[in-house]
Amino acid sequence: MKRSKRPVIVCRCEEITEDEVRRAIKRGYYSLEEIKRVLRTGMGHCGGRGCLKIIARLIEEETGIPVAKQRFPCSRPPLKPLALGLLASYKYEEKNG
Amino acid sequence: MKKRTADAIVIGGGIIGAATGYYLAKQGLKVILLERNFPCAGSTGRCIGGIRAQFTHDLTIRVMLKSIKMFMELDSELGEDIEWYAGGYLFLAFDEERKKSFLQAIEIQRRYGLKVDFISPDECARIVPGLNQEGLLGGAWCPTDGQANPFKVTYGYLKGMERLGSKVITDSEVKRINIQGDKVVSVVTQTGDEFYAPVVLNAAGPWAEGVAQLAGVFLPVKPDRHEALVTEAVERCLEPMLVDYRSDGCYFVQHYKTGHFIGCYTPVPIVPGDRIDASDEFITEMPRRMVRLLPKLASVKVLRQWAGSYEMSPDGNPICGRTPVEGFYVAAGMSGHGFMFGPALGYLMAELITTGKSSIDISEFRLDRSFAKAEAMK
Ligand SMILES: Cc1cc2nc3c(=O)[nH]c(=O)nc-3n(C[C@H](O)[C@H](O)[C@H](O)COP(=O)(O)OP(=O)(O)OC[C@H]3O[C@@H](n4cnc5c(N)ncnc54)[C@H](O)[C@@H]3O)c2cc1C
Repeated sequence: MKRSKRPVIVCRCEEITEDEVRRAIKRGYYSLEEIKRVLRTGMGHCGGRGCLKIIARLIEEETGIPVAKQRFPCSRPPLKPLALGLLASYKYEEKNG
Repeated sequence: MKKRTADAIVIGGGIIGAATGYYLAKQGLKVILLERNFPCAGSTGRCIGGIRAQFTHDLTIRVMLKSIKMFMELDSELGEDIEWYAGGYLFLAFDEERKKSFLQAIEIQRRYGLKVDFISPDECARIVPGLNQEGLLGGAWCPTDGQANPFKVTYGYLKGMERLGSKVITDSEVKRINIQGDKVVSVVTQTGDEFYAPVVLNAAGPWAEGVAQLAGVFLPVKPDRHEALVTEAVERCLEPMLVDYRSDGCYFVQHYKTGHFIGCYTPVPIVPGDRIDASDEFITEMPRRMVRLLPKLASVKVLRQWAGSYEMSPDGNPICGRTPVEGFYVAAGMSGHGFMFGPALGYLMAELITTGKSSIDISEFRLDRSFAKAEAMK
C-alpha cells in the first residue's frame, strides 16, 4: 500500500504531525513529558487522551524505549473543558461546608 | 558506578540551573547538570511565565532590568523562539493603602529609569477593554514588562549548554555531597555515580533546603503550594498581565501567540509544604475572580488546573552566592519569581563563580544576610 504524502496529524487539538513528533524525538526529547512541553501534545482539549499512546509508540520506534517503560503525564482536572462562568457559579463552600 | 570530573556541577534542571549552567559553559567551564527527573519537572514547568521589573527592592529592580534586556535578545542568543512579548503588567489598586504603596514603589522604580505610571481607572480600561471598574482607584502600569515561555527558555539554555560541550544528565538525583576540610569535592547520585568538581551549585528550587543539608548548610527556603489554570485558546483580547492583589484577587495573562489564558492566585492563608495536588476550591474560586475582573471571559473554557511550589525565603528575595562550604554555591529561594530572574541571576552567578565578583553586585542576596527588609510586591 502506498503511504499518503499528506501530513499525519497525531495530536488533533494542537494540530501536531507525526513528522513534528519524530523530529522532536530526534532532537533528544525522549519522553512524553518533554514532548508535551515542547510541542504542547496533550495540552489541548482532550488532555492527551487521543495522542499520548500514539506518541508513546513513536518514541518506541525511534528510541527503542518500550511503551510499557515510558512515564505517562498525569491527567489533570477538569476531565472535560468547562466555561469559567459555569465554574464561577459553583458555590464550593456551600456544598462542602 | 561511574566517576566523572567537571569544572562545575549544577544540581537542578529548572530555569535557574539551566541559565547558570549555560553562562558557566559560555565562560569556558565544562559543566555537568544533574536533574533528578526531567528538565522543568519542578516549579519552572508550572509557572505562568510573567516577567516584570515592578518590584520595590532596589537590587531586584536592577536585576530585572537586566533580565528583561536579556529576554529581549534571547532568541538570537539561543537560536530558539522563546516567545518573549512585552505586553506590560497592570497592577490594580482597589483601596487607598494599595494605591499609596504603588505610588511609593513607582518612585523607587523610576530612579532606575523604569517607564511606569499610576493611571486612572479609565486608562486601565483602555489597556484592558471590558475591565470591571467597580471600586477601582487606578493601576500601576509598566508597558515594558511582559511574558515568555518557560519551557522554551529552559530547554533553550540546556541545548545551548550541550552545544558548548557541557552535559545535561536527567533521572539523576543527588543524594550525597562530599566535603573535605571545608571544601566541596564531589556529589553522588542515586545510582552511585560520583561527579567531582571544585564548584557545586545548588539550584534545586523548592527542594534546595534539603540539598543544602546534604552539605551541612542551613538554607531557609520553604515551599508553599500555588495553583494555576489554563483556558482554551481564544482570540486575543488581553495584552498585559493583570494583577489584582486583593486577598481574593488573582493574576492572569493571555499568551500573546496562542491565545490561552493562564493564571493563578496566592491563597490566604498560604498552604505550606511541598504538596502539589490540585484543589476543588481553586477551580471554582479562580474562575470567580477572573470573571469578576473581566466579565467577558465567562464563556471561555478551562482546560486544565495544576499546582506547583513557590520557594519562599524569609524576606521574599532570592538567596544567591557562596555558602560556608568553599565551592558550594546556592541560587534558590526565588520566592515565586525565579523564571523572570533566571537569565540575569544565571549570568551574574556565573560571573561570581568564575571571577569572584559579578557585574551587578548581588551581595545583598547572600545567604548570611539579616532577612529583615521584605519585598512588598510579592
Ligand atoms: C503557579 C506558579 C506560577 C508562577 N508564576 C511565575 C511567573 O509568572 N513568573 C516567574 O518569574 N515565576 C513564577 N513562578 C515561580 C517560578 O516558577 C519559580 O521561582 C522558578 O521556576 C524556580 O526555578 P528553579 O530553577 O529555582 O527551581 P525548579 O524549576 O523547581 O527546578 C529545581 C529542579 O531541581 C530538581 N532537583 C531537586 N532536588 C534534586 C536533587 N537532589 N538532585 C537533582 N535534581 C534535583 C527538581 O527536579 C527540579 O527540576 C510561579 C510558580 C508557580 C508554582
